[in-house]
Amino acid sequence: MKKSIRTLVWLGVSILGALALGTIALHRGEEINAMWLVVAAFCAYALGYRFYSKFVSAKVLALDAQRATPAERLDDGRDFVPTNKWVVFGHHFAAIAGPGPLVGPVLAAQFGYLPGTLWILAGAVFGGCVQDFVILLFSVRRDGRSLTEMAREEIGVVGGFVAYAAVISIIVILLGAGALIVVNALKSSPWGVFTIAMTIPIALLMGFYLRHLRPGKVLEVSFLGFILVMLAIWGGQWVSQTPTVAPWFTLTAPALAIVIIVYGFAASALPVWLLLAPRDYLSTFVKLGTIGLLALGIIVLRPTLHMPPLTRFVDGSGPIFAGKIFPFAFITIACGAISGFHSLISSGTTPKLIRREPETRMVGYGAMMAESMVAIMATIACCVLQPGIYFAINSPAGVVGQLPESAAATISSWGFPVTAAGMHALAQAVGEQTLFNRTGGAPAFAVGMAHIFSSSLGGQAVMAIWYHFAIMFEALFILTVLDAGTRVGRFMVQDALSHFWKPLGRTSWYPSILATSALIVAAWGSFLWQGVKDPLGGINSLWPLFGICNQLLATVALCVATTIIVKMGKARYSPVTLVPLVWLVAVTFTASWHKIFDPNPRIGFLAHARQLASSATPSHEMSRLIFNDRLDAAVAGVLVCMVALILLESISVWVSVVSGRMQARVREAPFVPTRFAAEEQG
Amino acid sequence: MSSSTLKPGSNARPTAECCSAGRTRASVSTWFTGLIRLLLSILREIFDESAYARFLARHSISSCPNAYAAFLREHGTAKARRPKCC
Repeated sequence: MKKSIRTLVWLGVSILGALALGTIALHRGEEINAMWLVVAAFCAYALGYRFYSKFVSAKVLALDAQRATPAERLDDGRDFVPTNKWVVFGHHFAAIAGPGPLVGPVLAAQFGYLPGTLWILAGAVFGGCVQDFVILLFSVRRDGRSLTEMAREEIGVVGGFVAYAAVISIIVILLGAGALIVVNALKSSPWGVFTIAMTIPIALLMGFYLRHLRPGKVLEVSFLGFILVMLAIWGGQWVSQTPTVAPWFTLTAPALAIVIIVYGFAASALPVWLLLAPRDYLSTFVKLGTIGLLALGIIVLRPTLHMPPLTRFVDGSGPIFAGKIFPFAFITIACGAISGFHSLISSGTTPKLIRREPETRMVGYGAMMAESMVAIMATIACCVLQPGIYFAINSPAGVVGQLPESAAATISSWGFPVTAAGMHALAQAVGEQTLFNRTGGAPAFAVGMAHIFSSSLGGQAVMAIWYHFAIMFEALFILTVLDAGTRVGRFMVQDALSHFWKPLGRTSWYPSILATSALIVAAWGSFLWQGVKDPLGGINSLWPLFGICNQLLATVALCVATTIIVKMGKARYSPVTLVPLVWLVAVTFTASWHKIFDPNPRIGFLAHARQLASSATPSHEMSRLIFNDRLDAAVAGVLVCMVALILLESISVWVSVVSGRMQARVREAPFVPTRFAAEEQG
Repeated sequence: MSSSTLKPGSNARPTAECCSAGRTRASVSTWFTGLIRLLLSILREIFDESAYARFLARHSISSCPNAYAAFLREHGTAKARRPKCC
């Protein structure tokens, strides 16, 4: 294509993007079509990829097409395998796409659709995509080193230790928050509980089929598993409508929490092939299909957004979580904008599959753009609901009241009309007893998704099926993260304990397996229990804590990236990672300060503990709530102090290098020319 | 063959259009087949079928329950250590 035509095309994309962004930002008092968000996102990603990522590739990282990657040099057909770039892209996307980009935007929509959308777009293009890209490349140039190893080698011992502590903390808090979302989605829902319960025998059956009947036919068995799950959803309706069977699957939140804790322990201790692997395959199969279906649904149906661009809760008085847009919108939406967890994937399996160095751009930067698009779709899914319905589903009983009438009156008084009768009819339509106080984001997302799908596929008659499909999809997704996270946490604890006593590090020694599994499950289980017992719904405290942990891990990743860029002698380009780093430090440190010390009991952990201590007669329950608040404050405080340490250590390295006191030397694997370049030319 | 090379008045023009349409159909079909192949390759990688195929090739064995059990022993540990993203 001629240069002038290319210029015109990109000018057109820029103008269209500006028009779409202007429309979503400047419309007030009237509803807009969801396609404006989709167009704004596509244009932002296209421009970001074409121009910004190209600048980062060429000027900052100087991608070298002649340099052999570890997948080529260390090719062993097992861990290191040179793989087609589209295959690596798909693999990387499947690994980074979790429940986060679906839940965070739904919760942040309490501010309106605008803050979340702008943060998702800007955060991804200038922060998240850059982080994933640079960490992937730096890992590729270091034989696939992990983030913690790179932190130790490039920054120092403190950096390595902090990265390790941040990883294990984020895993524990993520699992607690994720399990709470599942509990809130499934409590008092026999249909949902039955469907999810059935995924366990289905996974066991898949494991047996794979191992003994058709070895290695994973796609085939995943498809069969998917059919069985769809049958389970269909059967769930019968269960929920049969008075003799429904009570078996109608569980309270504490009962569900106990079931999930026991499940987490069993899943961690059972052989991988039996439960973890087949569930992972099933979850991935459903995940990829559902994300594709949702994208298709939004593009074909072009729904209207009923949520205003900004709500009155920008002042920090939100019912879902308390706190102002800054910093809370930016820690609520992590995956989808910038997520520290991705740096673990970018320095895990993916760098060992990259065939050519320039492909890191498409895989690292591009896959994060796709993940960000999922977050935009989640924003759309919840914003197509009437705001009154959205707030009725997501607001905890502690804020809006226990009774449907009082909750409806409170929400209507905020300017978002909703009636108890209307909510009851909606609950009936989706096959639930009630939709009030279903905090956590998953039910609101499921209602929105069912609303979009039922507009064309099957109408209102199958809305309940779509709702439970969405609930199953999210719960399955989160429980798979729970299985895998518990096991990963267990391995990390075993690795650490092996320094004290070797047998504890043996991953096949059952006493060690049981002890370390119990330790990890107890850690996230205590957060889950705390959330279940929290009168404010739990999400109010747990999700911000998870967001802070995730963004602190991103801070660690960006410290590593900036340090390497400075050591490469490219300090003048360090703002590429330094600017998002400064932003994240401002966000996470401010959020942590608020969560610990804010005088508003709905925001500050310590203020809430003081309020509990002064307002109630002492009881065992009350003492535990107070202890939990203090524990949350301590966790946030310790994490911030640790990240401050790595930040100081990094700054010290940057100053030493820039001032010439330290030799600028990076620890890359030696250059070896690639044979693929010659093969492609030949 | 471009239309500018054809003689005026000859009946070659419809044939050229026909050839061109045929070529287009063939290239669309090739592109589509390639796309399906690529999607299948991505799915096979995500679902570890490719890893199993590489395992069989590396050990020069054919697929059977024992081979798959050995693959799971080798691959399962690495898989279990892989964090799933939030």
